[in-house]
Amino acid sequence: MTSLPGLAEDLVSDVDALFCFSPSGSYYERAAAVEDVDVVVVAPENAVGAELFVELPLEFSDVRERIRFGIEGALNQGLVEDGELLACAASVFGDDIDTMTRVRADASAHSGIYDLFVNSRADPSVIRDVLDVVIELGRKGQKGKPVGALFVVGDAGKVMNKSRPLSYNPFEKSHVHVGDPIVNVMLKEFSRLDGAFVITDSGKIASAYRYLEPSAEGVDIPKGLGTRHMAAASITRDTNAVSIVLSESDGLVRAFKGGELVLELDPEEY
Amino acid sequence: MDLPPLVVDNYGYVLAAVIVALGIVTGYLARKMNERVLEAVGVGEAVEGTSVERTARKFGTSTTTFVARVSGWIIYGVALVLAVRVVNPALATALWVQVTGYLPNVVIALVVIVVGLVAGDKAELAVSERLRGVKLPEIGIIPVTARYSVVFIASLVALSQLGVATTALVIALAAYLAAVIVFTVVATRDLLAAGAAGIYLLLTEPYGIGDTIRIEDMQGFVQEIDVFATRIEDDGTEYVIPNHLVMRSGVVRVRD
Repeated sequence: MTSLPGLAEDLVSDVDALFCFSPSGSYYERAAAVEDVDVVVVAPENAVGAELFVELPLEFSDVRERIRFGIEGALNQGLVEDGELLACAASVFGDDIDTMTRVRADASAHSGIYDLFVNSRADPSVIRDVLDVVIELGRKGQKGKPVGALFVVGDAGKVMNKSRPLSYNPFEKSHVHVGDPIVNVMLKEFSRLDGAFVITDSGKIASAYRYLEPSAEGVDIPKGLGTRHMAAASITRDTNAVSIVLSESDGLVRAFKGGELVLELDPEEY
Repeated sequence: MDLPPLVVDNYGYVLAAVIVALGIVTGYLARKMNERVLEAVGVGEAVEGTSVERTARKFGTSTTTFVARVSGWIIYGVALVLAVRVVNPALATALWVQVTGYLPNVVIALVVIVVGLVAGDKAELAVSERLRGVKLPEIGIIPVTARYSVVFIASLVALSQLGVATTALVIALAAYLAAVIVFTVVATRDLLAAGAAGIYLLLTEPYGIGDTIRIEDMQGFVQEIDVFATRIEDDGTEYVIPNHLVMRSGVVRVRD
């Protein structure tokens, strides 16, 4: 005689840790009361005060990405070991947790997204702020028309040395950081102009209108992407920066690190 | 006037009774009105959760009710003294002078103390809110200090209002303030200097991000300029140079 909870039991039998994605306070309390299982909370912020916590830099709409990021973060922080069995409780359709999956932690499967946020020169919060701006720009466009934009984040000194100005730098002698409330509007206006934005490790906008001059040798990006993506990929190979691009033609946001495409997302989904 | 003899004989007493009755009515009205006004201007919400309010709650009342009640008591008191004055002028004159001379001071002192306690609580809350991001257990001393500073000053004002000798306390306050200022200046001297230099550097930008510069014997290209420090990097070595050092020793811009 099998019952529904009995079928679900297969999912969660012998797991070493339970991953809760953005759980509510009461859900976390119930989960924490379960014996013999570590509870890891993966969320944009640690609202439930969990002991084991992985910060989610943005709410991935794709659940697989979200789970992958959480596991990679936990592996990196040493919260779980390679090869451990994990149960992941996440929300797919609503805001509450409605899904349970069974995954094996695999240290060799690098998605690169975790790496993009955590192991870059720039602060994770700076990268998140830039991504937010780019996603917003991609969703709304400039005066309703799609725009393209290229942000190079981190290692600004080197990036400046590998680029030249196309015109006067509007951010000269200014002290503006991404994430400042007025910046979205400013960047939106300046995105009309050609060239890249250069942003320092701490999030200060160093320059706009930069023409990037890296060597494109050995950079391999998917065919069909234009010069903007090529420049973005190449500069990350020559420097320790990461670059975030909004494509004018297909409206997707892509992030490059070390000359490789590590993240591709559709701004409409966020 | 055609008054019954009973009233005429005890004219003083009747007048006194009328005064007391009027006093009770006015006092009651004043109490109710003050309570309404205090509630309307948001005092009730402002003191929510402060220690004054908690103490008031313990005695089954609230801050606004208490303040309003005090205003009522004062009017009752004045009415009572007036009544006594009508009945027995000789006895009351001395009391009258005492009360009218002293009562306003007591009221002001009381208000100052209540306001001081509330302000102290608010100051503690505001400071600890600002310091929330600082993960250092000992940081808790700063909000408490802020609170007691406010309360101390308030009690000083209140005591001097009552005419208590406060010279010693004022001297203590002066010594405390001087110590705070001296400590702050000594402790943050470098930060102040770096900040002042940093503002100059940000405004005039003698060197920008990406420029190669040399400060003393540290050479590299500029990665970051903020208010307090300039970061330059050279082949995997990053120098964090306080900005006052930049001003003191000057900058060499390397062009090639």
